Amino acid sequence: MKKYLYLLFLLPVLPACQNFLDVTPTDRFTQDTYWRTKDQAEAALNATYAALFYNVYAAGSVYTDALTPNSYQYNNEYNLISRGLHNAATGFFNDAWNGSYRGIGRANNLLANIDQVPMDVALKERFKAEAKFLRALFYLPLWNYFGGAPLITSATDFENQASLPRNKPEELLAQILKDLDEAGSGTALPLSYSGTDKGRATRGAALALKARVLLYASRWAEAADAAKQMMDLKSHNLFPDYRGIFFLENEGNTEVIFDLQYRFPEFTHSLDISLDQQLGSAPLPDLLNDYYATDGRPISSSAVYNAQRPYENRDSRLQATIIVPGSQFKGATVTPVQYPSTGLGMKKYTIFKDNERPVAAPTSGTSELNYILLRYADVLLMYAEAKNEATGPEQSIYDALNLIRTRAKMPAVSAGQSRDQLREEIRHERRIELAGEGLYYNDLRRWRKADQLLNGDVRNLAGNRIDSRQFNAARDYLWPVPSIAIQNNPALSQNPGYNK
Amino acid sequence: MHIQEENRRVFIPAVRMPEKIRVTCFLLLLLIAPNLYAQNQPMINANLRGQVIDSKTKEPLIGATVRIKGTTNGATTDVEGKFALVTGQKLPFILQVNYVGYEAAEVEVATSPATISLRELNQDLNDVVVVGYGTQKKVNLTGSVSTIEQKTLANRPITNSTQALQNVPGVFTNQTKGRPGADGASIRIRGSGTLNNNNPLVLVDGIEYPLGDVNPGDIESITVLKDAASAAIYGNRAANGVILVKTKGGRKGVFSLDYSFYAGSQQATQFPDVVTNTVEYMEGKNRALANEGKPAESSQALINEFRTGTDPFIYPNTNWFDLMFRNAAIQEHNLRLSGGSEKTTFSVSLGYLDQEGIMIETLGKRYSLNANVNADITKKLRVGAAITGNFWHSKESAYSADDGNGEGGLMGLTYRGLPFQTAYAQDGSYADQWIRVPGHNFFRNTVALSKEGFNKRDQFRTLANLFGEYQLPFNIRYKTTLAANLMYGINKYNYPAINLTNPKTGVITPIGNTPARGVRQASENAINLTNFHTLTWEQRFGQHNFNALAGFSIESFRDADFSAYNQGYLGNDLEELNAGSTSPQVTGRSGLSKLQSYFGRINYNYRERYLFEANFRYDGSSRFAEGNRWGFFPSFSAGWRLSEESFLKGTGIFDNLKLRASYGQLGNQNLPLFSYVDAISLGQNYNFNGSVVSGAAITQVADPNITWETTAMTDVGIEGSFLRGRMNFEFDWFSKQTTNILRQISIPGQVGNLAGPVRNIGAVSNRGFELTLGWKDAFKHFRYNIDANITKVTNQVTNLNGQRYFSGNTIIQEGSPIDSFFGLEAEGIFQSAAEVAASPFQNTGTQPGDLRYRDVDGNNIIDNNDRVVIGNSIPKYVYGFSGGIGWKNFDFSFIFQGLQDVDTYLTGNLAQPFKNGAGVTRDWLTDSWTPQNPFARLPRLTTSNGYPQNFQTSGFWVRDASYLRLKNVQLAYTLPQKWTLKAGVSLLKVFMNAQNYLTITNFKFSDPERNLTRADLIEYPNAKTITAGLNLSLK
Repeated sequence: MKKYLYLLFLLPVLPACQNFLDVTPTDRFTQDTYWRTKDQAEAALNATYAALFYNVYAAGSVYTDALTPNSYQYNNEYNLISRGLHNAATGFFNDAWNGSYRGIGRANNLLANIDQVPMDVALKERFKAEAKFLRALFYLPLWNYFGGAPLITSATDFENQASLPRNKPEELLAQILKDLDEAGSGTALPLSYSGTDKGRATRGAALALKARVLLYASRWAEAADAAKQMMDLKSHNLFPDYRGIFFLENEGNTEVIFDLQYRFPEFTHSLDISLDQQLGSAPLPDLLNDYYATDGRPISSSAVYNAQRPYENRDSRLQATIIVPGSQFKGATVTPVQYPSTGLGMKKYTIFKDNERPVAAPTSGTSELNYILLRYADVLLMYAEAKNEATGPEQSIYDALNLIRTRAKMPAVSAGQSRDQLREEIRHERRIELAGEGLYYNDLRRWRKADQLLNGDVRNLAGNRIDSRQFNAARDYLWPVPSIAIQNNPALSQNPGYNK
Repeated sequence: MHIQEENRRVFIPAVRMPEKIRVTCFLLLLLIAPNLYAQNQPMINANLRGQVIDSKTKEPLIGATVRIKGTTNGATTDVEGKFALVTGQKLPFILQVNYVGYEAAEVEVATSPATISLRELNQDLNDVVVVGYGTQKKVNLTGSVSTIEQKTLANRPITNSTQALQNVPGVFTNQTKGRPGADGASIRIRGSGTLNNNNPLVLVDGIEYPLGDVNPGDIESITVLKDAASAAIYGNRAANGVILVKTKGGRKGVFSLDYSFYAGSQQATQFPDVVTNTVEYMEGKNRALANEGKPAESSQALINEFRTGTDPFIYPNTNWFDLMFRNAAIQEHNLRLSGGSEKTTFSVSLGYLDQEGIMIETLGKRYSLNANVNADITKKLRVGAAITGNFWHSKESAYSADDGNGEGGLMGLTYRGLPFQTAYAQDGSYADQWIRVPGHNFFRNTVALSKEGFNKRDQFRTLANLFGEYQLPFNIRYKTTLAANLMYGINKYNYPAINLTNPKTGVITPIGNTPARGVRQASENAINLTNFHTLTWEQRFGQHNFNALAGFSIESFRDADFSAYNQGYLGNDLEELNAGSTSPQVTGRSGLSKLQSYFGRINYNYRERYLFEANFRYDGSSRFAEGNRWGFFPSFSAGWRLSEESFLKGTGIFDNLKLRASYGQLGNQNLPLFSYVDAISLGQNYNFNGSVVSGAAITQVADPNITWETTAMTDVGIEGSFLRGRMNFEFDWFSKQTTNILRQISIPGQVGNLAGPVRNIGAVSNRGFELTLGWKDAFKHFRYNIDANITKVTNQVTNLNGQRYFSGNTIIQEGSPIDSFFGLEAEGIFQSAAEVAASPFQNTGTQPGDLRYRDVDGNNIIDNNDRVVIGNSIPKYVYGFSGGIGWKNFDFSFIFQGLQDVDTYLTGNLAQPFKNGAGVTRDWLTDSWTPQNPFARLPRLTTSNGYPQNFQTSGFWVRDASYLRLKNVQLAYTLPQKWTLKAGVSLLKVFMNAQNYLTITNFKFSDPERNLTRADLIEYPNAKTITAGLNLSLK
């Protein structure tokens, strides 16, 4: 029997052949094996959309209202920025900077490689147009907030791109407009999608974004033109219920031009708990008092306003946006101490109904309401503003504004106003309609109003000072280039007034 | 003779043993080996009597084994050292005599009775140590190794074998947490040579296996290979040093049953001094907010209410550390049966550790098994098998007791606990907070989260090891080993739904911001297969001794994990995935890597006086691209035993004196799999209209040219022992130069916001020395010993091609230690507005009471360019000393461990005031700057989030983490053998132990034995432990 034991030595048969060490990854593609099929190109495009989650335009951008008199955040970086205590090391800016480049890199890789993919030509053109729309969207904050950044439009290349300096803002703007022109002209992008393509960039989205960029650049005539083209597509219209625009069941309604799509449990944000519990963006009396009374007049001059019952006879958008004490919310009466930061709660972008108790308490990372980047009301307001600046008052401006007023069950805008009067009326309407959506901060900056409105005390509903803000006009109209970015690429210059 | 040969393969327990066991074995023998007795019967029934004594003291040796050579016939000496044998043979014949601690003797006996004297071992000279793919006499080593014997581990409440390496020269062990089942210490051998994983390679019985998964009770010895000469035979994984563990086996001719047991109590070592009085907390917070120009958070009315309130449920002053931690029980049992016949040895052991966690509702249990069998099948063929396995079961909260869930883990939440919150409401239900403050908008009651739901982890790991050895002609031995290291782990999380009662209003609400009720089940498995073949050759030509080894090995490492999650449960007590109904999620992955190696060693010595050794390993690794895969790692070493020279040998001063020197190269392949591949990662998904669509994108830059990190190591040492082994010393100077260090670099975000590539970026140097001194002596009944060691390591980055690499508050730059803390230099505290105005611009809003930072670059603005190296997290000195005193049957021993010249940097909750809504430590209320208290240690009190200016990374917050700790103290009493032997017990020892009971340090914030680069404090705390137990041996 013993001799059989020697077989033991034969057990380990040596697989010592040449390719024993060859192991290939089974959970990823490699550059060499990619860009062969339509599905791969589509996945690369999808990943470019996914980069929106990291962008300054993700759902969290509603907090930028807390940098304005619209609302207040008691801690964290929005509080720091509103108090002028931020600097280049504040992590917020780095996230915004990197978030843009994540999407830009992905769009660039798609555009650089898709030509080698054998696929339907029309679909390929659509993919390219979507990628260009997204690239423009990702470049917008680099132009708008940072005032210039390295302009990169070729596939990611560490060796050649890592030390590029900042380009001038005009160069970024030109690239953004070029991308949007290429995406929005012609028929590469459809007017709408159906089924599981719904949510992709449409021709309307490209035009609406173009209008926004031109508006931010104060190129009025072109902005009005872009907005008009978008309106003329007749692809969108106002959703009848203002509050309902932001309900889960109405996601993708006719007013939504482009939204960032969330879905529990894979793609989530935390706005429900953040706005309702963590006071991430608590409305301020300054906003509350800016809502007109139902007669279309400011509360200071309205006949129907009663200071003892301040929430009655007000623009219907007030309680669609703000949770006020004594009102019904989440199926209960709101108590005076429920929102301890300012006394008011932000209703917009929570999914809760006024008269329904929520089934479960919200938790972090479980909200799935889509974040709307572009909606039709914004386009109407952009048209009104740009047209008024470009040509002065005309009927098409009143028409656009009154569509919005009508939906809000408010009287029409008084006719016959001067260009300056109408400008104020449009700006007011824009603040009210879009409050809590992350746009007002940009508006104040481009109107050069920030240094007037963003200095001074912050007061709560009871009128007590809760904080003080500082906005340095020489510095704060732009964000600092993040110190980490400068650290990793010393060729980047800093904006005036900021450290490195 | 044929019959006898057959019997050899059967285990025949030897000689004298306790009555019951003897009977059992006797019966066993009757059953399986009747021929043994048949064989004896016709022989002459000769008797041999005798005594075994100590050659020096002439004292009898109790329990020595006496055996007739070539047979299994033997006996054990009794209380008078006497033995009697029915020899069955004619005199004379050869007796083999063994006794622990004495030299084994072979004595030809011609008369009866016989007196046999044994010489006490001079252990230092005869110690054999385990080295790579073999063993070697310690005196003949030319490399630098440290060994730990079983006896230094015995009876200490070591819950994880990594803790066994404390107080070993050149080794820095750092046990940063006491979490049951996960309380392993990190091990650094001679500094940090890499920017990646610095863990040494651990081999158990020659196979890669985690040290933490070996039952400390099963360890026979641990060898630490510290220099290149010793470790080079392990090539591409050896750069951080190699640890060889040998598990216990049986001994020929000795059957024994050993049992050990201890039980005791553990408690947390140190917590920060937190303000636990609600009124003080509220007033402090108001003061901090006032300093930031913000209104008070707690009204005077509320403070007054608390001041006068009496109901402890509504007006608590809670210390959350008291509620969350406890004195926890621990016990361990180990049982071993071992023995051997002439041809076969075996050892089987079972171990059980039952450890309550010091945090409430946490526990860990370990069941372990170790089995070793070796058999000489023929004179030429030897086979053996070993199985080491253990099963860990641990339980804690679903939210993680540790830092696993970040701030949401129970440690994180405990560090956020406030004094006005409490665990229970009046009716015994879980309490909610009735005051809502920003930053604590809801209350995650940690007691509730501990008690409801669970995370249960079961992990099974086993190492199965099979070898065959065959003696070939020309003194060549062939050996092959085949081993499998298998791991299977399963985690089950049950996230409960919890309601909290407001103690003031009685309103019941669900607990805020915790994951929804659900179940997660995650499993992981790994299998590492190893097969190696060696040929060894040993030859002596006169005084020339040659030894050679050549080998080949292949290894593969596979691992996989899988996790599933479900929601929609109707009750907390439903624990299965299937019982849920909504939102199922699933993830999984697997990995594979391989190694193929050739290695060899040549060893030569002349008269054991001049020693030479060369090692090499040629390693191929699948972790690199083809073309960069193979690396060659040689080493050379030499030794000169001066004590063998005639001019010293005669003097009798030195037992051993040896000079040695070595040089060699080692590799490190520790980097993520496929780092060289330009990968397009999946999982970058999006969804359109509620449907998930796949996304794929480049997420990391790859560098296809990456290759080994190479560490070149030079070691020069001298070691000696003199005065008949009473004194010994060892000194090593070493220089460890690592080149081509691999590091994931961070790249500018503008390149697609990609993760940076892993690159060979530069060189790091670790230089230093190790010194060990020992003294031991004994007179009559008294004996004592003292050993001390110190290691100095200077770590410096020597070349980065001019680059600097930043990571959080640390930097890697030329001329500084790896990962030095990097920040502003604080020059003190501003005392007046005039001083602020006169200084370089600090920040908008800088006020008196703020830190004053130095304008290093002189541009009159404080910014990132003013940062300098402000601290170092790699200890410069690691030292320890241990000692023992024995008198008669009493033994007392202690072990100290210390670090010197090392810093840590804290930014987590409680390390900064009111951070993220957490509380505050007492010193901020008493010792922070105010106009009335201008010489305070701390700057003015603000919340750290609300006013970050004073909490920028700066030298002000670097904390000295040096410490000296009494790691263990033990008192033991061995019952006299003359009593115990009557009961058939060869050893009965009782002992008491105290672990971590004394620490001398300036770092008062938490336990100084911590992860020094960690900014927060939320690792599961370390425990101090007091235990008592006994050892029992039957032979």
